[in-house]
Amino acid sequence: MLPAMTSHPIDLDTLRHGARLAGFAWSDAELEEIRPQVEAALRLLRALEAIPVGDTGPTTHYRTV
Amino acid sequence: MADLFWASMTELARLIATKAVSPVEVVRVHLDRIAAHDKDLRSYITICADGALAAARQAEAALMAGRPLGPLHGVPYGLKDLYDTAGIATTGGSKILADRVPSTDATVTRRLAEAGAILLGKLNMVEFAYGPEGLNPHYGHARNPWDGATHRLTGGSSSGSGAAVAAGLAPGALGSDTGGSIRIPASLCGITGLKPTYGRVSRAGVLPLAWSMDHVGPMTRTAADAALMLTAMAGYDAADASSSVLPVPDYRVALTGDVKGLRVGLLRGFFLDAATPEVRSGVEAAARALAAAGAVVDEVSLAQVTNAAPAVLAIIGSEALAYHADTLRARAADYDPEVARRLKVAAFITGRHYVHAQQVRGLIRADVDAALARRDVLLAPTTPMPAPALDERQVTLGDGPSPVRPALIRFTQPFNLSGHPVCSLPCGFTAGGLPVGMQIVGRPFDEATVLRAADAFQRLTDFHARRPVLG
Repeated sequence: MLPAMTSHPIDLDTLRHGARLAGFAWSDAELEEIRPQVEAALRLLRALEAIPVGDTGPTTHYRTV
Repeated sequence: MADLFWASMTELARLIATKAVSPVEVVRVHLDRIAAHDKDLRSYITICADGALAAARQAEAALMAGRPLGPLHGVPYGLKDLYDTAGIATTGGSKILADRVPSTDATVTRRLAEAGAILLGKLNMVEFAYGPEGLNPHYGHARNPWDGATHRLTGGSSSGSGAAVAAGLAPGALGSDTGGSIRIPASLCGITGLKPTYGRVSRAGVLPLAWSMDHVGPMTRTAADAALMLTAMAGYDAADASSSVLPVPDYRVALTGDVKGLRVGLLRGFFLDAATPEVRSGVEAAARALAAAGAVVDEVSLAQVTNAAPAVLAIIGSEALAYHADTLRARAADYDPEVARRLKVAAFITGRHYVHAQQVRGLIRADVDAALARRDVLLAPTTPMPAPALDERQVTLGDGPSPVRPALIRFTQPFNLSGHPVCSLPCGFTAGGLPVGMQIVGRPFDEATVLRAADAFQRLTDFHARRPVLG
């Protein structure tokens, strides 16, 4: 897990690291452009992490009978 | 014949089958209306005038020769430009695929042709279906035909489908729905839109946004027309492993007009309480109308839906980026900048987030299933507000201010996660003359009950029959 997943705001080094891990070589300007949206997304993903799911299995498809 | 462009698909099929009107006249009337109004509405990307007229002449010849007719014989329709059409550009609303001409039809394109339907053209949309406002920088923003003085959003991503059907530029269309993209434009444009159960309709030959969230469905002016289109399109497809082998009924048979004893759960809390006062009163009035007609209405809340937004971010984000990764590396500058931003942000979603989101999805599905265990359908607003103006960035909802984009998808996205069938239809108008939409949610593969409830409401009211005045 990226350290920035639990801290806010996110710095440029962490943005570069995250993009590289995902296989993208974006410039600093490109990363700065998406920084606000990444921060907003990470806030939402922190909320996701906090939702208790117990033993619920991941649902990828529905009852495709 | 006066105002043929306002006739329903069902009515057009009857007029054609009884030789009261020629398919050629029907197509010409629609092409003329497109020519007169689409420069302003921007609902079409490609107009297939020659092909449509040729098909109409063939349909007329078949009629005169007494050959067997399909249920949509000679009836024109529009296709969101996400659906492959052999020999006709399928752009996905993008610059990147502007010159892409598939060699084969999507399964549903083929099935509608086999039913006799005639393609008028490919409809405008948000680039790669990735957005709920209905904006497209490459082909122009589709314009909501209601309130001609103000450029209002159609909603998206099936923006052109919503505008064209509402304005009489097509009697019916196909859209797609990943977070609300059929139902949001249906709500904002005052038409009927059906997101069937996941797996009810084949997605083969449809450009994906997020495989586990994408749904294919009709956008029409009546529930009866949605039933007509669904019957022609639905069913197992070997080319789509997620499609169901459940038999496809004739959904028109379910449209009895009877809702006596229908158990309806009105969704409070997250849904009704967050809507604007006019939307709330429209949906509440609809519930009273159904109750007066014999439905049994109670109130219910869904506890897990507040978790929908983060789960949708993780799932749609991850799946969309997986599909677009190579193109994003090679041609980022050719994307709609808004779409490119959304795709890039998804690079920061981890596999662990994705799996956790799929677990949350299981909770939401179970929640909706539980609510439907003692009810036949659920009722909620489709969007919390009517169509915003193009330059509006924020709206005031029942529970406070919200940016436009998350407001638009707030009530629709939980049912993309859960996969239940949902029909959006108009249930009123604001004092300013803008349509108000409500959604009817049913049990998996029970589109028949959903459409019965929607059709019955449309027999009791005339909201679906009101028409925008075009300039």
